[in-house]
Amino acid sequence: MNHQSRRAETTPIPTDVDARRDPVVELDDLSVAFGSGSDEVEVVRGVSLRIERGQRVGLVGESGSGKSVTARAIMQLLPAPGRVSSGRVLIEGAVASPRGARRWRGTTVAMITQDPLSSLNPLVRIGAQMTEMLRHHRGLSRAQARAQALELLEAVGIPDPPRTFRQFPSVLSGGMRQRVALAIAISCRPRLLIADEPTTALDVTIQAQVLDLLEAMSAESESAVLLISHDLGVVANFCDTIVVMYAGRVVETGTTDQILDETAHPYTLALLASVPSMGGDLPERLASIPGSPPAPGVVTPGCPFAPRCPIAQDRCSREAPALVGPPGRSVACHAFGDASWPRPVSVGGAP
Amino acid sequence: MSDAALAVRGLTVHFRVRRGLVGSRVVRAVDGVDLALGPGETLGVAGESGSGKSTIARSLVHLTRPNGGTITLGETDVTSLRGAALRRYRRRMQMVYQDPYDSLDPRMTVRDAIGEALAVRGLSRDRRPGEVARLLSRVNLPDALAARYPGQLSGGQRQRVSIARALAVEPDVIICDEAVAALDVSIRAQVLNLLKDIQRDTGVAYLFISHDLSTLRFVADRVAIMYVGRVVEHGPSLELFAEPLHPYTRALIAAVPSVTARGTKRLHLAGEPPDPANPPTGCPFHPRCPEAIDECRRVRPELTVVGPGRSVACHVAVRSFRSPRSAAEPSR
Repeated sequence: MNHQSRRAETTPIPTDVDARRDPVVELDDLSVAFGSGSDEVEVVRGVSLRIERGQRVGLVGESGSGKSVTARAIMQLLPAPGRVSSGRVLIEGAVASPRGARRWRGTTVAMITQDPLSSLNPLVRIGAQMTEMLRHHRGLSRAQARAQALELLEAVGIPDPPRTFRQFPSVLSGGMRQRVALAIAISCRPRLLIADEPTTALDVTIQAQVLDLLEAMSAESESAVLLISHDLGVVANFCDTIVVMYAGRVVETGTTDQILDETAHPYTLALLASVPSMGGDLPERLASIPGSPPAPGVVTPGCPFAPRCPIAQDRCSREAPALVGPPGRSVACHAFGDASWPRPVSVGGAP
Repeated sequence: MSDAALAVRGLTVHFRVRRGLVGSRVVRAVDGVDLALGPGETLGVAGESGSGKSTIARSLVHLTRPNGGTITLGETDVTSLRGAALRRYRRRMQMVYQDPYDSLDPRMTVRDAIGEALAVRGLSRDRRPGEVARLLSRVNLPDALAARYPGQLSGGQRQRVSIARALAVEPDVIICDEAVAALDVSIRAQVLNLLKDIQRDTGVAYLFISHDLSTLRFVADRVAIMYVGRVVEHGPSLELFAEPLHPYTRALIAAVPSVTARGTKRLHLAGEPPDPANPPTGCPFHPRCPEAIDECRRVRPELTVVGPGRSVACHVAVRSFRSPRSAAEPSR
C-alpha cells in the first residue's frame, strides 16, 4: 500500500468511536511526573492518544514538550524517578504496567531512538544481538535466526550483510547503525514502532533513505508508526496524522493536511512560520515566537502558550483551554473559532 | 571595525590515522579549498558529516594546523602566526559553536565570561560592567541574567551569551559552526534574526557552517557546497538553491523534507559519503551520482567558473555550459 492511498483512507474521521478499528496503543488521560511531594514536576499532562493499526502518527514538539517522555511511558521505560501519575496506557486493549511489559515490549511495540548506540550493546556483535532477539521472541533455531538476520540486514540496505553480521556497533556509521536498530526493531514484526527522532543525528541524504525504509517496513507489515520529531518537514512527509505538544500537553491534533492547511492552534501556526523555506521570496526576518517555552513542570493556571501567544486574551492566562473537537481533530485554544482568530479555518464539528 | 576580509587559498588539512597495528593512512579532511569572505558578508558552508566543513573552521582559529594553503585576514597572512601575534589575530576571528556548553565555563557567571573577553580587548575594569550590560541588551537578554551560570540558562539564552562573548572582542569575522543546529525551531528563528541584526549594525562577517540548507538560504549571501574535503559548487545563495548545478547539490536540496513539498517522492541518493581515507578515483561523488559518465570515474573535476560568482566541479555540468546549445538552460 502506498502513502497516498493510506492517507486517503484515514482522512474521513468517523465520529462514532466504535466504528473505528481497534487501536494498537491507547493513551487515556496520561500524566507523567518526576519527583514527589512539593518537588513533584509534571512533564506530561493529560495526554490522550489513539494509534490504530497501520496508522502513521507524528508527535511534534520542541524540547521539553514531553514527547519523548510520552514515548517512554508507552514503553513502560520511564527513567527513575519518573512515573505515571495518573491515567493509563493500553496496549491492544490491556492496561500496561512495567512488570508485564516483557510480554509485549519488542514484539507488539518496539522502539528506535535518536542514538542507536544507546540501544545496541557495544560489546556484542551485530549478528548475536539480532539472533538473540529472533530466537527469544520468535522461537527460531540458531540457523534459522542467522538466515533471518542476514535477510533483515539485506532488507534495510546494508551493503554486505555477512560482514556487518560479524561486526561490532562501534565500527558502523550513524546511518548504518540506525539501519541495524531498525532491522532489530522490525525483526519481530511489531504492531507499533515508536521512532523517537530516528533521523535527527543523520545527514539529510541518509535521513531520506532511513525514512523510505521506515515507510516500506511499516507498509509491508502493516505496523503503525509513532514518529517523534521536532522537524515538521519530516513529520509532514511521513505521517498521516499529527499531534502537536506544548509544555506537556496536546494542543492540536488532526490529519497532516488539516494541521498544515487548516492550522488551528496559534502555536502550530507560529511553528510552521518559523521554518525558513527552500523556495520563494526571502523574508528580511523570520517569523519567530517571542520568549521561550516554560521550564518543564512550571504550571500556570492558564494556557501554557499564553505568554508567547500573539492573540492571547485575559482569559488565556486565567483558565487553561480544554482540548475540544471530534476524535482525531482537536485543538486547545480559547480563541479558536471566535472573532479574534487571525485566519479563516474550517474544522468540522469544532465549537 | 576594519575593512579586513578573510581569504583562504588552497587550504589543505591531512590527518594521519592508524590502521591496525602498523599501517597508517592519510585522511584528506580538507583538500585544496578556496574561500573568500568580504566585510559584512555571510558565506555559508554546507555539506554532510565528514565533508571537512568543521575542519576548515578549526584551521581558521588555529585549533588545527593546516598542511598547506594560506589564510589571509585583511592584509595579514595569518597562516603561521605564533605567540602575541596569534593572540592579536584571535581577537579578530571568533567562533560560536553548536553547543555553548563546550565554550562557556560552567563555573563562570555570564558577567565573568563576557568580562573575560572584554579584558582581552583591553577594556579597563571599571568600564566592563557597563559594556557587559550593553552586550547583553545587544543580544536581547535582560541584565539580570549577568549573575547566572550557564547551567541556569535555557539553550537559546546560552547561545545568545556565547554570541555576546564573541562580540565582546569586536571581531571582524565570526565563525558560526552549526550555531543554531541544537536550538528548537522557534528559538532558532530568533537567533537567526539576531545574527542578521548584529551584522547590519556592526558589519561583522559570518562564516556560517551548517548542514541545514534552509537555514543557509535564509542567512547566507553566498554558499559553498562541500563533499569529501572539497568545494563542489559555489554561488550566490538564492541562485544556487533555485538552480543547483552539481548533481550532489541537487540531491541535497531534494532530500530536505519540507512542509510545502509534502507528498512528493523523496529523492533517492544511494550509498553514503565515501571514506575520506580511501576516496574513489575521479570525481569522489561518482559512485552515488545518477549522471556519472566515464570521464567522472577517471578524472577528478576541478572547480570551474561557469557564470558570475558561480562555479562547479562537475564534468557533466561544465560540459553543458561549454556547449552553446544548452548554455541557455544550464540545469538542463
